[in-house]
Amino acid sequence: MSTIFRELGNPPGPASSFTRLANGQQLEDIVRPAEGIVSRRIFADPEVFAMEQERIFGRAWFFIGHESEIPRRGDVITRQCGIDPVLLLRDEAGVVRAFLNSCRHRGMRLCRTDRDNVRLFRCPYHGWSYSTNGALLAAAGEHHYGEGELDRDALGLIPVARLGIYHGLVFGTWDPNAPSLDEWLGDMRWYMDIIFGRTGEIEFVGVPQVWEVDCSWKFATDNFTDNFHVFYAHQSLVELGMLPTDPDFACHGNMVTLRNGHILHFVQGAPDDAYQGLGLPKALWPRFAQNLTPTQAKIAQTHGYSAGTMWPNFHWLQLITAGDMEAPPVGILNLRLEIPITATRTRMFSWFAIDKDASPEYRKLSYETYVRTFGPGGIFDQDDMENWEECTAAARGPEAKRHTLHHKMGLHRAPDKTWPGPGIAYKDSYGEMTHREWYAEWLRCMSRPLADRTARVIR
Amino acid sequence: MSAAVATQELELSRPGTALYGEIVEFLYREADLLDSNRFSDWLALFAEDIHYIMPVRSTQFLSGGAGFQEVSFFDDNFQSLRTRVRRLETDSAWAETPPSRTRHFVSNVLAAPAGGAGEYAITLNFIVTRSRGDQGYQLFTGRREDTLRREASGQLRIARRRILVDQTVITATNLSIFF
Repeated sequence: MSTIFRELGNPPGPASSFTRLANGQQLEDIVRPAEGIVSRRIFADPEVFAMEQERIFGRAWFFIGHESEIPRRGDVITRQCGIDPVLLLRDEAGVVRAFLNSCRHRGMRLCRTDRDNVRLFRCPYHGWSYSTNGALLAAAGEHHYGEGELDRDALGLIPVARLGIYHGLVFGTWDPNAPSLDEWLGDMRWYMDIIFGRTGEIEFVGVPQVWEVDCSWKFATDNFTDNFHVFYAHQSLVELGMLPTDPDFACHGNMVTLRNGHILHFVQGAPDDAYQGLGLPKALWPRFAQNLTPTQAKIAQTHGYSAGTMWPNFHWLQLITAGDMEAPPVGILNLRLEIPITATRTRMFSWFAIDKDASPEYRKLSYETYVRTFGPGGIFDQDDMENWEECTAAARGPEAKRHTLHHKMGLHRAPDKTWPGPGIAYKDSYGEMTHREWYAEWLRCMSRPLADRTARVIR
Repeated sequence: MSAAVATQELELSRPGTALYGEIVEFLYREADLLDSNRFSDWLALFAEDIHYIMPVRSTQFLSGGAGFQEVSFFDDNFQSLRTRVRRLETDSAWAETPPSRTRHFVSNVLAAPAGGAGEYAITLNFIVTRSRGDQGYQLFTGRREDTLRREASGQLRIARRRILVDQTVITATNLSIFF
């Protein structure tokens, strides 16, 4: 057994009907991350997507929103936790809460705007109303209910089972038996400190850009820690002089895999001040030492780029790029989330975020650079969506589904013991160890038995 | 209001007058350049101080306004628009290589004198269809607020463009086309 196999864990157990597809194949046979083999079947197939519903979206931890999006009491935004619609709000006492966005009576969506500031929620259908802490205040026509027909105390809004906040990022899970957010994120928190805590606080600026792409959510998701596509997928920007002409330009760094499928990389930029300190202005560099451990501060100081995936579908992109051919390079922080609608359609969320203490000038420059290069109109990002759609379109047919994708780059590369951070690190950030770890967690999650709550009707 | 401006406003508000006709023809020719993939010629229609912006829209109650946000899908100046055009002229802007087939329809054109001398405030409705590869149509609809400026040479140029889309969730692969 190779080193990598042990690291990824989860050797296939005895064939189980739980992971068997209708055609008789076992998921663990067609997805073999330790060997760098992933079947094309898992991307566009409605059967696999149906299996993902409870096993992944019913019980993993998901990013819902950032605290800076709901600064005032009564602020509410409508989002998803997994694929279920939720209200994320700050209640009258200032507590951040998340509820299924659905009335307890007939299931009507309660909040039908993207954002609001409310004192209570009143269902448009029959007028049931709820306080911001989720308690049912009144049902319609209460005097028409007989004794015992309306148990108001038991009819509060359905809360996200567990909610957790780290650096203002609000995560939720529908699984009451899930590990705590701290346990779930584990060592990822050490790296999130560098991205979200380097100068104090980060804030999300305004609303996300939202759009829907005809692609499997997994093709979008697994692109974010992939560095070696940049030279080829964004070739037009090499031609325009906005990216280096050396195909290896983005390989100078480390990839890191962590427990629970969290993955990331840190990459060094050109030996020039503009490409140090995560692309932040020099004035903010002294903050690293104030907010981070010396080891974290050194990583922030000596790297320009980073991408990380908080498994399964939430990502940071910390980049340095010019907004156009004549503009100077600027640091940008972009947060991404993919919510599947069907096996082959995905809703994309993209936020611009900034260090709270950044100067107004840098804030403006960083924002303009972001919107010109990332998001659906960004001259970098546009080409990625083309790839995700085309990969999906080519994965639909029966013949394609008999074949695998190739995720073997760096399969036999030994870990880099000199990397000072937690996790298993590899030198040279061109590699597919992050992909393999993501799909290993996917397989673990798809193979883990469901608790009986999925079969139970929760009243 | 001076008599000259009042006359101009009256003329602009009447389809069929020479000035209105000139503006509408300008808009049709612009759309034709885009649909013919003549992006450099299209770029030449913009003033050097162009601000080309497409704000993100949110769903909200009428009392809260139309829902347009400070965050945008596009926030371009002449320099960044030029980069977008140059990019489309490479052979490797994969989102548009091979190119989308677009059709830009403009209608409901209203014009009025704008703040600056020789400037006209134009509002219109647009439909943009995009056919890409073997996929179905991607459809964009909305309102556009343009400022056209007559330069010393007599040439009209686009000095400001605000693209107000109807969708809060863009149902399209990306926004690699122009509006």
